Amino acid sequence: MTVAALLMAFSLALSACGGGSGGESSSGSADGGKVSLSFWTLFDGGDGANMQALVDEFNKTHPDIEVKNTKLVWAEYYTKLITAVGNGNGPDIGISHTSRLPDLINQGVVTDLDAVAETAGVDWSSFNQNLLDATVVDGKHYAVPIDTHPFIMYYNVKLLKEAGLLGEDGKPVMEQSAEGFVDFLQTLKEKLPAKVTPFALSNTNDDPYRLWWSLYSQLGGNDLISDDLTTAQIDTDKGVEAADYIQKLFKAGYIKKNDPDFYKNFQSGTAAIMMTGVWATGTWESTKDLEFGAMPIPKIFDQEATWGDSHTIILPTTQKDDEAKREAAITFANWVADNGQVWAKAGHIPSKPSVLEKPEFKEMPYRSDYASVASTVKFNKPSVKTAQIRDNVSFKILNEVWADKMTPAAAMENMQKGVQKTLDE
Amino acid sequence: MKIKKIRADAQALLFLLPFLLVYGLFTVWPMIKGVEMTFYKWTLIKKMDFIGLDHYRQVLRDREVWEALWHSAIFVVLTTPTMVALSISLALIANRKSLLQKFYRSLFFIPSVLSVAVASYLGLFVFQPYTGLVNSILHLVRLLPEGAEIFWLTEKSLAWIVITLVTLWWTVGFNFILHLSAIQEIPDEIYEAARLDGASDNQIFWKITLPYLAPITRIITMLQIIASFKVFMQIYIITGGGPLDQTRPIIQLIYETGFRKNDLGYAATMSYLLFVILLVLSALQYWMNNRKGAGM
Repeated sequence: MTVAALLMAFSLALSACGGGSGGESSSGSADGGKVSLSFWTLFDGGDGANMQALVDEFNKTHPDIEVKNTKLVWAEYYTKLITAVGNGNGPDIGISHTSRLPDLINQGVVTDLDAVAETAGVDWSSFNQNLLDATVVDGKHYAVPIDTHPFIMYYNVKLLKEAGLLGEDGKPVMEQSAEGFVDFLQTLKEKLPAKVTPFALSNTNDDPYRLWWSLYSQLGGNDLISDDLTTAQIDTDKGVEAADYIQKLFKAGYIKKNDPDFYKNFQSGTAAIMMTGVWATGTWESTKDLEFGAMPIPKIFDQEATWGDSHTIILPTTQKDDEAKREAAITFANWVADNGQVWAKAGHIPSKPSVLEKPEFKEMPYRSDYASVASTVKFNKPSVKTAQIRDNVSFKILNEVWADKMTPAAAMENMQKGVQKTLDE
Repeated sequence: MKIKKIRADAQALLFLLPFLLVYGLFTVWPMIKGVEMTFYKWTLIKKMDFIGLDHYRQVLRDREVWEALWHSAIFVVLTTPTMVALSISLALIANRKSLLQKFYRSLFFIPSVLSVAVASYLGLFVFQPYTGLVNSILHLVRLLPEGAEIFWLTEKSLAWIVITLVTLWWTVGFNFILHLSAIQEIPDEIYEAARLDGASDNQIFWKITLPYLAPITRIITMLQIIASFKVFMQIYIITGGGPLDQTRPIIQLIYETGFRKNDLGYAATMSYLLFVILLVLSALQYWMNNRKGAGM
């Protein structure tokens, strides 16, 4: 509890002071020809199993390298990574979300990869440019993206058929426009029993924020901060329009109010459509009797855009800077990206376009239906405050809009202030 | 004689040493280190720059801090009197001679053995809309019309009620035991004498039981105030501090500042502000106790 949190703070402070002496980072080095690498991941469930499968396969096919996978709890992953690297006990390889990268760079946790990538012969042009660009900061590569996991739409095939909204091609019949999407939901509401939720969506935090971010970007909004990353710069009109559109979806009763479990709602076949990250694909697939489809979120406004983030492989700062290890590590990272078809099992979109052409990938259903989204993901600008702005400002204020306790206009005003305050801190 | 005493002291020290070491290393030393941290810009990994009293100036002006302190204070006000009243009531019930006496005692105490996460998640399940126990019962007895839901967890005042109820249910057991044992120590003769004099149940409670419970009640009140000021986990799980930070207690703000914003120096400063407040409260209580003790 409280005491535990304080103790943690204190013990962290302690280890930060005492860390200088403990010089041994991870086991084994390049002696005897075999390079041993420690790898920290934050994946559990299907992701965890797929990453372990990749690691095992890599170790089998690369006799001179051994990667040891340590799974950490997602919620504490970044805190642990930052403190461990800080006192010299970090791993040789780590995972970072693209959105977290600027903060890690700023804290000196990750190293740039340009030199080692050249030695190891990594071909940067083999990656999806949109995903790759988001990992380049100040002209340097800091991470190897292995996927993108954007915000997409799922639909229940049976319910859409029942409402007469499933086309011959098995895809939803919907006009891709602001009115078109509302009409689609209205038909679902009218044609389906009252117990069915037309649109399963969380009422707070991540998913409605992602929808807002997507629509804001579709309108041409360009993040919440200026290009030089120092000032809050919300395109107010666009922000209001996007928030207003979503608030109306809540008010019209298309979205179940304060739905305690919107995943379960869709999973148990009582919701017609739902929007969330692509990682749900694997979950729906393993659900018995759920007939579903996946597609990019509709183009409601001017241009296609959606929220998304990427998992990337990073080489954390180590005390020795062992070149052999670094080369082995980036070889592993590149290999994981090359074998994205395994990683895609959970639903993620592989980071290399060449993987999309592999028969193993094409054989998997659904993925190809939304793989094109990779190029329309609107990433955050590389601010060290991205996560803080999202968690402490956008989530909290937009939650009030969804609960109809704040007007979209007031929300944008408050967000502008909150973002600026966060940037100033 | 003296040598004997020194030897005894040395022996005692030997036995105390394992505890002292751990206590010193994990409590005393970090407390000292914490003071140092307040004078620096200090991230999750390292000491950055010396900034003197800047954090102290900042903390006094920071609206978020005072709001969070206020929320902790609301929690104290909500839970302390109710806790004392509930604990005495339960102790009275469990003290009555009845077949269910043992059953009551375990019933009232059992929630205390749960961990905070279990207790809080139970609270979440009970109060969540659509499928939660409370709303379902309200639907069943038709107090809540079909299709309507009470959103216990997302309305500010309702959320406070839920937090208070869960906390009372979960933590009353320990105080209940203290009160029960205090009640049992009240001599029966006094009650007998009172009954012979024709005192009513009401009079007996207000004039005998309650005054006899006063010392333990004072202790419980003090412990309760201090513990309540340090509230964090159940609120964090049940409302996450929301809606819009309106239930966020100071410890959550300290946690977020330290581990989400990586600003350990400022988080430490807030911790010491809370420390001073608790210290003043304890001193006040100590002083009042002593004065009362002298008067009796």
